[in-house]
Amino acid sequence: MPATTNRQLAVRLAVSRALARTRDLDGVYSAALDALAECLDVSRASVLLFDPDGVLRFKAYRGLSSEYRAAVQGHSPWTPDSVDPEPLLVPDVRCEPSLQEYLPVFAGERIAAMAFIPLVSLGRVIGKFMLYYHSPHAFDDEEVQLAAVIAAAVAFAVERVRADEVAHRVEASSGFEPSAAAIGTWEWEVSSGVDRNERGDGLPSGTLRQVRQCNVESSRDCMKILDLDGRLIYINRAGLERLGVEDARDLLHRPLVDLWQEREREALGDAIARAKTGAIGRFQGPCRTPAGIMKWWDMVIMPIVDTSGAIVQFLAVSRDVSAPWQAEAFQAGQHQVLAMIATGAPLAQVLTLLVHLVEDQCEGMLCSVLLLDTDGVHVRLAAAPSLPDEYVRRIDGQPLGPRVGSRATVMQVGRPVIVTDVVCDCDPQWDVLRDAAMASGLRACWSTPILSTHKKVLGSFAMHCRTPRGPSREELRLIETAADLAGAAIDHHRSQEALRQSEERNRAILRAIPDWMFVMSSDGVFLDYHVKNPEDLLVPPEAFLGKSMHEVLPTWLADAHQRSFERALATDEPERLEYSLESQQERRFYEACIVRCDSDRLLSITRDITDRKRAELDAAAQRQELAHLNRVLMLAEQSGALAHELSQPLAAILSNAQAARRLLDHHPVDLDELRATLDDVIKNDKRAGAVIHRLRELLKKSNTVLQPLDLNEVTREALDLTRSDLLLRRMPITTALSPGIPPVLGDRVQLQQVILNLVFNACDAMSTVDPAERELTLTTVADDEFVQIAIADRGAGIPDGQLDSVFEPFVTHRPQGLGLGLTISRSIVLAHRGRIQAENNADRGATFRCFLPVATGQHG
Amino acid sequence: MDDIDPLNLVVVDDDEEVRTALRRLLRSMGHAVRVFGSAEEYEALPVLADCLIVDLRLPGLNGFELRDRLRLRGSAIPIVFITGDGGPSPGDTTAQGGTESLAKPFDDSELIAAITRAVSAKHESAH
Repeated sequence: MPATTNRQLAVRLAVSRALARTRDLDGVYSAALDALAECLDVSRASVLLFDPDGVLRFKAYRGLSSEYRAAVQGHSPWTPDSVDPEPLLVPDVRCEPSLQEYLPVFAGERIAAMAFIPLVSLGRVIGKFMLYYHSPHAFDDEEVQLAAVIAAAVAFAVERVRADEVAHRVEASSGFEPSAAAIGTWEWEVSSGVDRNERGDGLPSGTLRQVRQCNVESSRDCMKILDLDGRLIYINRAGLERLGVEDARDLLHRPLVDLWQEREREALGDAIARAKTGAIGRFQGPCRTPAGIMKWWDMVIMPIVDTSGAIVQFLAVSRDVSAPWQAEAFQAGQHQVLAMIATGAPLAQVLTLLVHLVEDQCEGMLCSVLLLDTDGVHVRLAAAPSLPDEYVRRIDGQPLGPRVGSRATVMQVGRPVIVTDVVCDCDPQWDVLRDAAMASGLRACWSTPILSTHKKVLGSFAMHCRTPRGPSREELRLIETAADLAGAAIDHHRSQEALRQSEERNRAILRAIPDWMFVMSSDGVFLDYHVKNPEDLLVPPEAFLGKSMHEVLPTWLADAHQRSFERALATDEPERLEYSLESQQERRFYEACIVRCDSDRLLSITRDITDRKRAELDAAAQRQELAHLNRVLMLAEQSGALAHELSQPLAAILSNAQAARRLLDHHPVDLDELRATLDDVIKNDKRAGAVIHRLRELLKKSNTVLQPLDLNEVTREALDLTRSDLLLRRMPITTALSPGIPPVLGDRVQLQQVILNLVFNACDAMSTVDPAERELTLTTVADDEFVQIAIADRGAGIPDGQLDSVFEPFVTHRPQGLGLGLTISRSIVLAHRGRIQAENNADRGATFRCFLPVATGQHG
Repeated sequence: MDDIDPLNLVVVDDDEEVRTALRRLLRSMGHAVRVFGSAEEYEALPVLADCLIVDLRLPGLNGFELRDRLRLRGSAIPIVFITGDGGPSPGDTTAQGGTESLAKPFDDSELIAAITRAVSAKHESAH
């Protein structure tokens, strides 16, 4: 599953920006509560931090009463010493044993579910934030991960603001800020000065007493004294260090403006000009040290006056304010990294930017990102823009093992590894790399694992230092932040990669399949399509895209689609639709499978099934041919019975007609008798006509005509044809036709054929049975789904193991039969979407059952 | 040729339409006719008759079986078989043991001829 979703990234970016804007803790808490409300849709939340006594105190809250806060004050699932705690989710407070004592409090506050999200900095819990819900709440993974993202950002912001506050307190107590009032009192004490030539690096002779009092030499700030032309005549030790210059003489007598970049010179000149008027000149600007590090300076230039009040020199105090500037730059850099991740920049670029960002924060540090291959064994260098090539070559592609440096080890153990000096560290893990590290002048290496949101090791982030030492708290925090950002970047990259591969796979599948695909809105507008050969389409894409299918398709087809759409949306099951369309040359058949693809769109996968359909039609035609042959043979076998069926009415007609003629010769003519006689002629003629009609029906080659049929009626008609034959053959027939059975959808002739086949089959089975023991029973019954007709005989039954094979072709015991009767019966029943089965009766004989589906309203 | 002396005739046929038509035809010729729907019905009420006209295909006992039972009991009553499914050809008396047989539909003259032959054959054999 994608580890870092775009939503998580977006939340992270938003929270990080909101937190970066705040300058105090209240602002941080407020931004955190805003983020929770917005991203997790939780209106009630609180932020609590451990106080110095290790008690959790409410720092900010929303929607909580003072009674509630007082009641739960001090409760905590964690102590300040808890390491890497997991969020505690309480979907229902009534089911959480550890909270039982608070249930009345929760009830009073209408809290039914809650979540404890730890705020962790450098692996330690500094506090928590809480989410409260009115009703029991099932937490999903996404929610918990978003909460963790917000928690990480909040913890970082709290630590940052706290550090800033500490720094400000230190500054305030040192009381550096120069004031005009103080400057105004400074005076030259020319006589007591020490000749600077004697001291070499000391103050110029005639140093102002007050200047000495300021403890110039030991000041942390860069202090310079300028002559009235703005040339440097003195710089203190801190200044030399800050500028990275060893000998002051390299700088002396040079104009101060020469030390600055072109664009800052004007502002500096203005500040000096202002000092010349007796006021204080001040400006801020960036300047690179001789070592090439960009620093941000705050410079104050003030006049130095002699006892007469004349301005004789200037004191320039410049202070390195890069630290706060860097913090801001780091924030901005983080935003840039997050933005790059979100916009899908290449992973290598993102990680390289991240490495630069961290390197800019820690002078002289060289950083690298190693990635664990998806094979989980080899490590790959993802970004190390500043590390020496030789060293880099030794790391890249190494298998994970105990001998390839701490950065690989870190991935195995999954926690930070600090090597303060590779020379002294006798850990065998450095065996392979020690020489390379030494040759590259790298002495210390601090690594931390890069973890996915699911705590899976993705790689490591390492800082290398040229001096043997351990990291400061600040540096550790930087590494942690960098690893965190790298994790987000890698997670996102991998999930995007997985998505891309899956899309590519889908595209490959799409390219491979011959089906047409149409994406449609629920109201039938064509939104998109995929067709391998667009020229196969009856209508070109531009003629249907963006249009409703009612504009494009014939009305009946659009209506059929609409019905399928509604069913697919309602049931979430694929819907099938078969139809045919006439093109210029021919009729082609199509099958559409319609599936819901999201809440209101549908995918219609359409296939040209003309070939299959034609094969099916051919098979159906053959089946009909065979069925017809079966009927002809069946009737041939029954020719005696049929002749009887016809000769009876014909005999009655002839005898009645001849009787009538004789009646006419009687005197008087019995007209009533004559009329009755003629009525009988008509009746019997119709009877003969009906027999011929049924014969013609059975013998005619007709296409299947499906209509709702009463199976009882079909049974009676079939038996009428054969009743006299059965009588002659001494086959007593019993019918038990359930009245009121629902109609079936069928072809009358074909179903009669099935019944006759089964009846003849039953008669054959009983031909050797004593006539007194013969019994042929036809029964119809119905349930909600099927109408069943059962034909039971009292014959020998079907031999074991042949219950299924009786339906196979050419299995026969009748000399005249083709052995196709049961086979054809089965094919007819299957074509009616029914089934046929044979079973032996408990006592004797066999029963054949046909199940035919009840006709549904839409066909009727 | 079909004007013969009035006879007492019995018709056994399971088809009501055929029964009715034959009764009507034979009565119009001046004969007395009794009809039965099956051999069993006739056996239950064996009225005296000059000739039996019996359908071969009957539910229960068929025409041949009825004849055999009558002959076993010593009855020499003349019998004309009528049949609806082809059956023995008219005049083929040997196959049926000297019994007349007609295929439906048959002409009234054929029927009278068959009855006449059957009755006279009995008389010849009796003399």
